[in-house]
Amino acid sequence: MTLVAVAWKYLLGRVMTTALTGLAVALGVALLMATFLLTRGIRDSFTAGTTDYNLIVGAKGSSTQLVMNAIFRIDVPPPNIPYTVFERLTVDTRVEAAVPLLLGDAYAGFRYVATTPLYFQSFPWKRQVLTLADGQFLHDDPPDQPRFEALLGWAVAKQIGLRLGDRFYEGEEMAAFPLTVVGILRPTSGADDRTIFMSLASFWEMNELSREMAVKPLTAVLVRPKRLSDIPILHREYNVLPDTQAVLPSAVLLTVFKLLGIAEEVLHIVLGIVALVVFLYLFVSMYHAALERKREIATMRALGARRTTIFSIIVLESCGITLAGGMVGLLGGYGVAWLGARVIAARGGIALNPMMVTPMHLAVLAGVVLLGALAGLLPALLAYRTEVADNLTPLS
Amino acid sequence: MDRCRRIIAVSVGVMLTIFSVAIAGEGIPRLTFAQLVDSIKAELEVTQKIKSYAGKEVEIHGFIVPAGLPDLSFFLLSRVSSIGNYCCEAPVGQDETVYVFTAKAPRITYDPLKVYKVRGIFEAGLERDRVYGISLFRIRQARVEEAVGAKILKVEGVNTAPIRQ
Repeated sequence: MTLVAVAWKYLLGRVMTTALTGLAVALGVALLMATFLLTRGIRDSFTAGTTDYNLIVGAKGSSTQLVMNAIFRIDVPPPNIPYTVFERLTVDTRVEAAVPLLLGDAYAGFRYVATTPLYFQSFPWKRQVLTLADGQFLHDDPPDQPRFEALLGWAVAKQIGLRLGDRFYEGEEMAAFPLTVVGILRPTSGADDRTIFMSLASFWEMNELSREMAVKPLTAVLVRPKRLSDIPILHREYNVLPDTQAVLPSAVLLTVFKLLGIAEEVLHIVLGIVALVVFLYLFVSMYHAALERKREIATMRALGARRTTIFSIIVLESCGITLAGGMVGLLGGYGVAWLGARVIAARGGIALNPMMVTPMHLAVLAGVVLLGALAGLLPALLAYRTEVADNLTPLS
Repeated sequence: MDRCRRIIAVSVGVMLTIFSVAIAGEGIPRLTFAQLVDSIKAELEVTQKIKSYAGKEVEIHGFIVPAGLPDLSFFLLSRVSSIGNYCCEAPVGQDETVYVFTAKAPRITYDPLKVYKVRGIFEAGLERDRVYGISLFRIRQARVEEAVGAKILKVEGVNTAPIRQ
């Protein structure tokens, strides 16, 4: 019988203790993996979903609110800015593209975003181009001739079940302005999937307040300068204006990541404590097992087993528990991360993909097995030093 | 006696380590924004003097303007902070910025008020890129770290000589 087989038999001999110890290891590893996968998923999701425009011009207030609302469709929209801000940017010779955005209410939980066809246009500096799964893009409606067309993000069409030609509205006051679905976008894995696009003219006409306004409102303007080196000066110009602020989306996200990093550090401390508790639990479990088996060990020794063989069996048992617990924990971590991603997507509106495989997985498994070997060392040493004569004396 | 020998040996070891680190850092020229500004001629040409640094490793200190993705694989290095709206000098454009392409996403905590030390392969002269547009000064394969107390403003007596680490 091999050493592994002997260790396996011993583990099966105290199946409840083995299962509970393995479960403790699995829970610790699952917690570690879920934390890693979710935090990494959040960072990756924000990085992948961010805009390729370098500046966002909006109303004075929270820069985070502006970015989260205009780019990720999270949070409530900040106050409006006058349309003249957009007009000023379009005639600025330093600006290559300026795209107006107007964010408003929602239909079945999906945000309305009014914009121009430029939003969907392809540029060499855009990482992803929005393409149609069906239908057509929005027309560039003149301000006084709204067509009330709707272009749906992929998730909107899928979840609500709207199709081309369908007309819809939400609330009695909107019954006079039903939107007609003219197109459905291909999935982007970003916030555009959860958006209902329409023209600015349609939005202004549907909204009772903006209908009467002489200078129409906007929520934000996405700006791409011809030269990136003009970003600092444009940024400053629109920040010193009394009504507007200019925001670097990446700067805001880096600040969010910084806060996320602080939370991660706290979690790492908690995970360190969890690892210590699991280690101690494993150690106590193996120590008790070694104490209880002194007589059996002495018998094995009397039958010719060497001290190193006894030592190896105990260490193998400990490693076996942590290996099994670690593997179950890895799978559990994926499960928890998957559930967490669904909760975040439902509540926060961020689509995460936590199902990534990294070298860290192997490192965690190796680390856990090493931890098992360490926890088994002292009990193994105790077994190693077991004297045959002292432990084979008659029990009565 | 033994203790005395050990102290001497450790001291010599520490001094040798410091010396070797200093030698390793010697020879990397530090460029300032003042030098970059002065090097620009008409029609976005740059002087031969600044071009002589092209292809060599240089060091520049400045503020990070995150103009690319939030992984900082690309950013602008600027003489002025991107949040100093109401004080100090206003940025004037092309001559104020260096386009930085990092070797790998830097493991730094971004702070708009901190000065960062960027080292990498320098490029000077007009370049048109489909993604990054027109640029005059670039640093590629850059490594980034925080530089505490660095002088970056155009002041008299600024040290532009090769630096010691």
